[in-house]
Amino acid sequence: MAEQNPSSADDPTAGESGPTYCAYTDYSQDTPSETSLPATGKNASGTEQRVWDVLYEIEDPEMPVSIVDLGLIYGVRVVEESEATAGDDSSTDEEDIAGDAVGTPVAIDMTLTYTGCPARKMLTEEVEEEVRSIEGVSEVALELVWSPNWSLEMVTEQGRADLREFGLSVPEREEA
Amino acid sequence: MSTETTGLGTPEDLTDAERGAVEAELRPLADGEFVLAERYTEWQVRAPTLESDLAISNIAQDELGHARLWYDLLEDFGYTEAALIWEANPEDFQHPTLVELPLGEGDWADAIVRGYLYDTYENLHLRALEGTSYPWIADRVGKVLAEEDYHTQHARNWLSRLCEDDPGRERVRKALDRLFPYALTLFAETEHEAAIVDMGIRTESLADMREEWLGVVVPHLDSLGLSVPVSEDGEVLVDLPDQVGTDGSHTEHWPELFEEFTHTYRELELGEPPRLLEDPDEV
Repeated sequence: MAEQNPSSADDPTAGESGPTYCAYTDYSQDTPSETSLPATGKNASGTEQRVWDVLYEIEDPEMPVSIVDLGLIYGVRVVEESEATAGDDSSTDEEDIAGDAVGTPVAIDMTLTYTGCPARKMLTEEVEEEVRSIEGVSEVALELVWSPNWSLEMVTEQGRADLREFGLSVPEREEA
Repeated sequence: MSTETTGLGTPEDLTDAERGAVEAELRPLADGEFVLAERYTEWQVRAPTLESDLAISNIAQDELGHARLWYDLLEDFGYTEAALIWEANPEDFQHPTLVELPLGEGDWADAIVRGYLYDTYENLHLRALEGTSYPWIADRVGKVLAEEDYHTQHARNWLSRLCEDDPGRERVRKALDRLFPYALTLFAETEHEAAIVDMGIRTESLADMREEWLGVVVPHLDSLGLSVPVSEDGEVLVDLPDQVGTDGSHTEHWPELFEEFTHTYRELELGEPPRLLEDPDEV
């Protein structure tokens, strides 16, 4: 590894840019438990609601089913205004706030159905782009997570209906 | 998470020693998956049935997917994919040399034996990572393990089938004789081995994994009528090859394979900065 300089992350010639982290993402690995999934944003409001609305519009590249109904989204976290500006000395007057990127950062945890998914970049970029364009969102930190494993159990009732209509045989959800 | 080991911190919080150990654990794993997939893809559209064409392609795709998950974690330390693979030097790669050997020409048994020996090892290795102290590895192990089950099944099914008659078993035997010494490179330690185990990055030593692997592989191959150069009391009777891979030493076949799979990257000049205008001096 001696030949490789970590600073090459800044190398603009690199084919794929390195991972970017949102300053507000904590690194705790409190991955959602299987029982809290699928995450659907049921009780979301405000900016978070708008994020879920946009995510619902994004479909799997191979099947006409929303990535939310497919169960790929494990969590959405909108950083509260007070959190976002806490410790930010420059935003003490209104002019400064207006001059900064408007809105709050959003962190999204997402998985993929399998590790060799060839649409990974396409899908994650679409999510980032669509969510970033939402009014009230300043930046997006998307993290791919792999625990718990995605399985059919993650697919919502709507997702199951969509997959059946597409012609797939989807078993009934097992009663919890 | 293991209750005995304290979890390691975030990528940027690691001490130099911790980071060195995590990298030393990840790099051979990532490279191993990647290079094995490179070799498997040579069998695509040449496998003996359409079903096995699809199977080997699918297995190769999975291994590339797993390689990407492990490379991702190295990228957390600031490396880029380009630096790790496409613009790396051949000697930067740390995969065990088993996976870089050319496939015996036209020999399907080679792909199967190699897959069997590797997948049995990978399964043990992943299980030794389930209780890892590094949370980012922990997040990924279950997913990879779930996808590996099918690989082992595929290899075992084909092994049995190939060993059903004498000519088939003879092919398997030849492939096994050639590959077995190199399979031992799967357990070649790096200088970080003690640290990896001490820090709980992996919960089992490579030496213990090797014992376990022999305990699975030897009786199974024996049951198929294949002899393995291991004595009754478990002593391995062949020497480790000179090139083990994990220390950057590779066989003469490696530079050729590396040249081949990085060819398109260089041809497309992906490593060159794009230029909008021609250099006036060159017009």
